Amino acid sequence: MANVILKNVVKEFKSVTAVDRLSIEIHDREFAVLVGPSGCGKTTALRMIAGLEPVTSGEIFIGDRRVNDVEPKDRDIAMVFQNYALYPHMNVRDNLGFGLKMRKFPKAEIDQRVQEAADILGIHELLDRKPKQLSGGQRQRVAVGRAIVRKPKVFLFDEPLSNLDAKLRVAMRAEISKLHRRLGATIIYVTHDQVEAMTMASRIFIMHRGALQQSGAPLEVYKQPANRFVAGFIGSPAMNFIDATLVREQDTYVIDAEGFKVRLPEAFYERLEPYAGRPVIFGVRPEDMAARDAAAGGGNGNTLTARADVVETLGAETFVYLTCGPHSIVARMEAPEHPLEVGQSLAVDLKMPKTHIFDKETSQTIV
Amino acid sequence: MRKRAAVKALKSTLFYAGAVALCVGPLFVFVWMIMTGLKTGVQNIAYPPEFIFTPTLENFQAVFQQHHFFRYLMNSLIIATLATGLSLALGLPAAYSIAKYRQGRIGMIILLARMTPFVSYLLPWYIIFRHLKLIDTYTALTLTHLIITLPMVAWLMVAFFESVPAELEDAAMIDGCSRLKSFLIIVLPLVRNGIATSAIMAFIFSWNQFLFSLILSGPQTKTVPVAVYNFISYGKIDWAGIGAAATLIVLPVSVFAFFVRKTIVQGLTMGALKD
Repeated sequence: MANVILKNVVKEFKSVTAVDRLSIEIHDREFAVLVGPSGCGKTTALRMIAGLEPVTSGEIFIGDRRVNDVEPKDRDIAMVFQNYALYPHMNVRDNLGFGLKMRKFPKAEIDQRVQEAADILGIHELLDRKPKQLSGGQRQRVAVGRAIVRKPKVFLFDEPLSNLDAKLRVAMRAEISKLHRRLGATIIYVTHDQVEAMTMASRIFIMHRGALQQSGAPLEVYKQPANRFVAGFIGSPAMNFIDATLVREQDTYVIDAEGFKVRLPEAFYERLEPYAGRPVIFGVRPEDMAARDAAAGGGNGNTLTARADVVETLGAETFVYLTCGPHSIVARMEAPEHPLEVGQSLAVDLKMPKTHIFDKETSQTIV
Repeated sequence: MRKRAAVKALKSTLFYAGAVALCVGPLFVFVWMIMTGLKTGVQNIAYPPEFIFTPTLENFQAVFQQHHFFRYLMNSLIIATLATGLSLALGLPAAYSIAKYRQGRIGMIILLARMTPFVSYLLPWYIIFRHLKLIDTYTALTLTHLIITLPMVAWLMVAFFESVPAELEDAAMIDGCSRLKSFLIIVLPLVRNGIATSAIMAFIFSWNQFLFSLILSGPQTKTVPVAVYNFISYGKIDWAGIGAAATLIVLPVSVFAFFVRKTIVQGLTMGALKD
């Protein structure tokens, strides 16, 4: 097993910079997830680690070895592809054993390792079939199996669950997590799906436009996003961003948005000082709001009044799309006792300590 | 319901009528050729033409006995095999590179060589090969046939190589293959239908090639299409002999094409349908 280090890695395709000075360190046995919207450079980064794309500049280390000029086959890695990339003309057994055969392992050992992998993944009865005769989920297992028979230092996964249906995706997600614990391997996993990233990663690396935005444990990036992009990307439904002005009123700071005004908690004050009187972006997650009937009293004082435009009832929870002045806001709440009605006027209490404020110009997080 | 059935019946009747109409022309020529080979010389020049006659195999015997026809068959076989083999050896890697590295421009240049009228090559080639003392050799004939077979192999195969997902090679390279090895043991087996198609087409085109062989072959390397020319002499055309010889030339390739027709159709319609 090994750690993987990227130092100032740049990848340019003609005039396009796909990856821009990417520096990351993935620790031994870590489950690292590179996540970002499509075109953010995550797959290119993974392919450079695999050696399938040469780097334009910068250095890549696997273990203690600089691998910039090392062939993919000599990097001691295994990769699982989005479309599985099983060899169509070989049966499952030969697909699994191919990497070992190329490395001239003795036949007995190949058989034994293929059996082991088949045990782990429960694909014994598929060994003599061709990839064409397998379902999507089964192909996925074989693709994972082909990686684990090799016992590589590092596993690379390139959007491996994207081609599966929703139900299977959830099941495979849990299985890959289990596999990680069982193998104790370093895994680098690329996805555009923030749910996959949050649920599987020991550390998330969020990328945007070729550059790393933030890295950290899933909850850390959720609670303390480094900038507006990360705040909007992690979490579903996405965080609400509201154009507002930061106003100092006597000894307190107030967010003054068209249509509502809320008081910020004391813990924020120190960092807010330089921004007093300036336009900012106020961020609040849908789950940090509690809506109630506007006619009923109570609340914490940091309340906005809004009209429900769309109500999506999912069973355990409800998404409400609200209009408050010029702002469109999504709130996520537990299913209320009395179903909400479209057009109904609601009072929405904000959990102020959990809100965020971003610099309008740089998009960086202030609080 | 009844109306729909009637329309369906009408449609299939029209389809088959059209198919038959299309086939009549080419098939008539084919049948005429075989009949010519089976008639005597006198029957062949009879007017009006005789359609009912007692067939004779004399012409076929004569083709082998009076002319070195077996030798010409062997020449054709050797040259077509060499030209096919060589165009695969050169064309497969070329097509792979064009597909993989998106070298459409080089593809066009190859096509240009194929589109140039063949007659324009003849004189320069004759001069070059005479200087090299290669007239009447297998080398000269094989090399010139490449101008037909190589572009065919290359162009057919580009589509096949493009259909192989790039990830398969990526996977192979990670699994321990070099680029060459992944080409040989992963990519080539996946395009075997294409290889079969282009090999068959190349063979047939080389087998039928007349013009280059006429100019560049000699007594040693005469191929069968040229040999048929022997039956035309000053003041006399041996129609019966030509018919028999032509039938013998067409026979092997037609039988062969009949058995591999499925592969050929598959190969030529490659990319038309998603599989």
